[in-house]
Amino acid sequence: MISSTLILCVISLDSSGASVVGLANTSITVAGSKADLRGKIPLNELGQEISAPPAAISISAEDVAWDAGGVIKVSWQPAAGTTSATKWIVERSEVLAAGQGAGQGAGQGPWTLVAEVPIAETNAVVSKLSPDASFFFRVTAVSPNGSSAVTTTKSAATGHWNFFIGAKLPLFCAILLVSACVIYFILAARRGRPMKVRRIAALEAITDAVGRATEMGRSILFVPGIQDMDNIQTVAGLTVLGNVSRTAAEYDAAIEVPTSRSLVMEAAREAVQASYLAAGRADAYNADAIRYITDEQFGFVAYVSGRMVREKPAACFYMGCFFAESLILAETGNSIGAIQIAGTAESSQLPFFVAACDYTLIGEEFMAASAYLSGEPDQIGSLKGQDVAKAIAAIIIILGVVLATGAAIAPQGAMPAALEWLKGVLGS
Amino acid sequence: MRIVATDCGSTTTKAILIEEKDGVFRQTFRGEAPTTVEEPFADVTLGVANSVTELQELSGYRLIADDGTIIRRKSAADADGCDLYISTSSAGGGLQMMVAGVVREMTAESAKRAALGAGAIVMDTIASNDRRKPHEQIQRIRELRPDMVLVSGGTDGGDTKKVIEIAELIAPARPRPRFGGEYKLPLIFAGNKEARQTIERVFSGEGFALSVVDNLRPTLERENLGPARERIHDVFLEHVMAHAPGYDKLMTWANAPIMPTPGAVGDILQTIAKGRGINVVGVDIGGATTDMFSVFGGVFNRTVSANLGMSYSISNVCAEAGMDSVLRWVHLDMDERELRNRVKNKMIRPTTIPQTLEALVFEQAVSREALRLAYIQHKSFATTLKGVQQQRTVGDAFSQKEAGGSLVDNMALDLMVASGGVLSHAPRMEQTALMMIDAFEPEGFTEIAKDSIFMMPHLGVLASVNPRAAMEVFEKDCLVVLGWCIAPRGEVRAGRPAFDFTLRRTNEVVAQGQLIGGEMRLVRFGHGEVGMLEVRPERGLDMGAGPGKPVTREVRGGAVGIVLDARGRPLKLPTSAVERRACVEKWLKALEVYE
Amino acid sequence: MAKAYTPGLKVTARTTYRVRRLLPVSGDVRVKVGDGVSAETVVAETFLEGDVFPIKVAGMLSVNPSELMPLMLKRAGDTVQVGDALARSKGIFGMMKTEAKSTAAGTLESISESTGMVIIRGAKTPVQVRAYVAGKIIEVIANEGVVVETDALFVQGIFGVGGETWGTLMVAGKSHTEDLLEEHIDASMKGAIVVGGARMTAGGIRRAREVGVAALICGGIDDADLRDVLGYDLGVAVTGSEKIGITLLVTEGFGDIAMAKRTFQLLLAHVGKMASVNGATQIRAGVMRPEIAVPLGEASSGEIFTGGATAGILDIGTPVRIIRDPHFGLLGSVSALPEQPAVLGSGSKARVLEVALESGQRVIVPRANVELVGD
Repeated sequence: MISSTLILCVISLDSSGASVVGLANTSITVAGSKADLRGKIPLNELGQEISAPPAAISISAEDVAWDAGGVIKVSWQPAAGTTSATKWIVERSEVLAAGQGAGQGAGQGPWTLVAEVPIAETNAVVSKLSPDASFFFRVTAVSPNGSSAVTTTKSAATGHWNFFIGAKLPLFCAILLVSACVIYFILAARRGRPMKVRRIAALEAITDAVGRATEMGRSILFVPGIQDMDNIQTVAGLTVLGNVSRTAAEYDAAIEVPTSRSLVMEAAREAVQASYLAAGRADAYNADAIRYITDEQFGFVAYVSGRMVREKPAACFYMGCFFAESLILAETGNSIGAIQIAGTAESSQLPFFVAACDYTLIGEEFMAASAYLSGEPDQIGSLKGQDVAKAIAAIIIILGVVLATGAAIAPQGAMPAALEWLKGVLGS
Repeated sequence: MRIVATDCGSTTTKAILIEEKDGVFRQTFRGEAPTTVEEPFADVTLGVANSVTELQELSGYRLIADDGTIIRRKSAADADGCDLYISTSSAGGGLQMMVAGVVREMTAESAKRAALGAGAIVMDTIASNDRRKPHEQIQRIRELRPDMVLVSGGTDGGDTKKVIEIAELIAPARPRPRFGGEYKLPLIFAGNKEARQTIERVFSGEGFALSVVDNLRPTLERENLGPARERIHDVFLEHVMAHAPGYDKLMTWANAPIMPTPGAVGDILQTIAKGRGINVVGVDIGGATTDMFSVFGGVFNRTVSANLGMSYSISNVCAEAGMDSVLRWVHLDMDERELRNRVKNKMIRPTTIPQTLEALVFEQAVSREALRLAYIQHKSFATTLKGVQQQRTVGDAFSQKEAGGSLVDNMALDLMVASGGVLSHAPRMEQTALMMIDAFEPEGFTEIAKDSIFMMPHLGVLASVNPRAAMEVFEKDCLVVLGWCIAPRGEVRAGRPAFDFTLRRTNEVVAQGQLIGGEMRLVRFGHGEVGMLEVRPERGLDMGAGPGKPVTREVRGGAVGIVLDARGRPLKLPTSAVERRACVEKWLKALEVYE
Repeated sequence: MAKAYTPGLKVTARTTYRVRRLLPVSGDVRVKVGDGVSAETVVAETFLEGDVFPIKVAGMLSVNPSELMPLMLKRAGDTVQVGDALARSKGIFGMMKTEAKSTAAGTLESISESTGMVIIRGAKTPVQVRAYVAGKIIEVIANEGVVVETDALFVQGIFGVGGETWGTLMVAGKSHTEDLLEEHIDASMKGAIVVGGARMTAGGIRRAREVGVAALICGGIDDADLRDVLGYDLGVAVTGSEKIGITLLVTEGFGDIAMAKRTFQLLLAHVGKMASVNGATQIRAGVMRPEIAVPLGEASSGEIFTGGATAGILDIGTPVRIIRDPHFGLLGSVSALPEQPAVLGSGSKARVLEVALESGQRVIVPRANVELVGD
């Protein structure tokens, strides 16, 4: 059961890890405050602007805090009389060693355009810079009459790499909350607090199916899907295989596991052997019954259904990732009168399994199978903790839906503000 | 027509006389005498003759001849003798069997069902998946001293290897029969027909008397217990009875095969359930064990809860249920240490009877727990078959039901029959009724009756010879109708209305009213009265027609009447001791249980 | 039924006590009629058939059961040691042969061609039966055992735990109403049969076990203390095989209850003699009560007792013990036997009797709730 704990860890690492990576690569745009400058612009008698717009009065660049580096916020103060100007051009230059650069400020290299912003804006967030490298920035107002003079930062600014990304604080809190739930329930379960797990008929029926095979003197067929070990469903399927083969070892029934990936065969052999050892019937373990067939989807299906028709196993298990073969296998199994138990998270294949099999583990149930089957406090507790986290997520979703609906019905009032706040908290 | 029936129990032999008068069969007299199986008499017929002599004295007919045999009439005109003599027996500990099968939940369970149904006590069940190592199984087989062994396993054309393996464990273990000596151990094989030859070879050695019958599980979808049950009866007569003192003589007297007592009780309950088309639960609570019978949807089941009883096993009931569970039914002040010592004293002196009210209240509390535990065991055994293929539609996606669910459904239950000392000898009928209600928690409309003088075994055998006589006597003399229990399924809310009721007798309203959650009420409705009872439950409460739906049914009066129970199901007692005691006291008062 | 038998417990100063000492299976009897024996004398012995160990040899060699026979290295009847090769596979070109080794020692009993299972029967275990009481062999049952007879003081208890034992009779405490406390037990009581008065307390039992007392005999015991000694709550009264290192025997029942004065005095009179005690109790059909026998020598008293339940008939003046609350444990004699059933406090109707208690008080109790005391 250690392996299954590991799987749970992998799942959580996978999801959270992935989002952390995504976060580091995403540029964050912070809406700037708008300055209303109308009414302050000098005009000629005709009311037209007469010359190129004036340059910005001052410019500053500073590091954006709590990020993964490479992001610098440039802000400037516009001069009066820029009404005819349509946009600001923001450019950057690397800091060069002394003596380099052509005729410009000391250490300033060639200028690269990094942003064009509407004239009403007075700042720009420049991202995708090399982290921990320093840059100079300059800004120019552009109008149809020409461009203003440039305003250049006096010193170079550096987009520092920060240990903590502030924008992901809500996510961090969410992770803390979920972990706290999981840990709390694990500890509670270890102290012997009863944890009710809904009865899953499909898993309870394993003994029924294995018993049927024993009484009828036939074998048990276990198909762990057609995907490789990198598919989480295959891993979950092998967890169930461990339990099925343990029951089979206790009942002394023969189990057969055809696989369509060599790696899955190896993993399945280990799982089955461990189960036979645990059941104290190591002598009955037969590695040859767990074999690799072919990677080809329909070649594999042809073999399995042919085998089913010839050997007529009394119990068939389909646990893993299935595609078009789901109905072919399940219908063949049904026609030979086997008790069939399926489990998959492929929503498109579930209806076929439900209709053709005796019992079906649906999505989440399938993933929760290892905790359910082992009954270990650590696993049950973590299952319970995850349930609480899911409940919290569900509550937030419902809250969001209510707020969004409310905001659509009454655009004035507190609803839109609350919705914005929620959006802000959940991160952009 | 004059029928004499006896039941040879382990301590007493009970005789009853059944006579046909004006075309109707009635039980008229009864007699009792100590059973005489053990030394120094060692002849069961002595006790039988003594008990029939008592019948003779009471009835005035001459039934026992000078040589101690039962006199038969040549024609209905004869003044003396009887036309039919039948008997059951549970003397010497009854029929003790060991059963074996391949999978514990499948063929082994079917074998156990066959043995229990035939009236045996199942000492142990050996299966290839009973989590015992083979040498442990052998050790166990050697320790037991069964009268008979039933081996099953494999469907027809199915497994042969494992069933032979089991046989190969039993053969060298050579279980020693109780009767010892030259007795050959009868062994019945009711498994895969393809394994028969090998089985015959395995048991060809000395010491076994093998007989082969049809597989009791020809396919996993079908159970065929009939042939195995019949063979058990035959073997019981041929081998087991033949070794008990005096039975050879008794067998020649009887007009029908002598049956094990519980088997006969099962037969009469099945006859009644079939005849009236109802679901029945019967219980016989004894000193050492509790027998539970049920017929649901025509399927009969019997369980024996060894070590749940009111004298020899009383301490075990308290240990298994826990003293707290027992004491929750008690409304009087009792000291726990004192009680524990009293329980042990009853265990070591099992024949004593309660003298004070306090002692009676306590014994009846223990009986509720004994019955409750026995019923739980029964429910988990009386199931549909396991290992059966299910047929599904997409609509079942979220409601996949397992195979092997319990057949016992308290809502579908129509009649409960109580028998056994603590139930049938309770000073007041109300006590019997309440013990049954508290222990079984019947739902909807349920009739409660008790077996007046434990006549069911006699009638069970009679049913095989003369079913009409058995039915008539059962209805008129055997059953004492206590009344009906009317209880909704679902959780009630204390202090809120639970259901309304109206009881009519041909359009005249006899009683009506409303029950509040947690309340019990008794409506006296005497023996022989028949009325229509309409019940309108509140939302969420089910009287049999679905939540909130009103139900009208015919009810018959009885010694107690109609018990309206608005405590909800499953039955929950308040957790705080003070509140609980007040509740129990209120219920006891409402039902006039301990005047 | 004019006269009903009422159960009772035998407490007698002198009786001829006969005990059958039988082997569980047939074997050899080591003594002959007329031999004098002590409690420890081995009177009969035999060997119990060995345990059975099945080994799935075909599975170990990965061959079909039907192919097993030619591969077997041992035959039925051969002696086998742990680790002996039972069978060897053919292997490939005579290489890579696998062996199935025995996991048990004993005799190879059978080889199955349908399941590939080999049955090994373990060595026989010796069983000895001792005389249990000092006395004389009066009968030998060929191959089964003997009957030992002695004249003895004989006391039946109501309940006991632990099996047969014997030792010197000693008394702790001064009277039959005194509880057996820790301080009553001292080291000199090692291996002795110790008689206490009323209830055996938890402390007393603990000390007795520490010291190594063979058996404790008292009036009563508390249910909670019994549970502590056994480690579980006794469900049904079938005892005798407990391994608790001491035999406990109570003469009256559970709770605070004094030993009957007569019982106590009878035992007191024989302090220093060898006594045999058996705690085995079986309250089922074929009832068995625990017992104490103190052999007194050879002179015969005429009356012969062979154990088992005793019963007698109630008459006016018969000494009885009340065995159910509210008067539990009180002794007295029958003073009236009304024919008609009476209504009890519980509301039940039952036949009753009147008992004149030792205190002079007269009480009415159901007939089922008394037992006979005395011879």
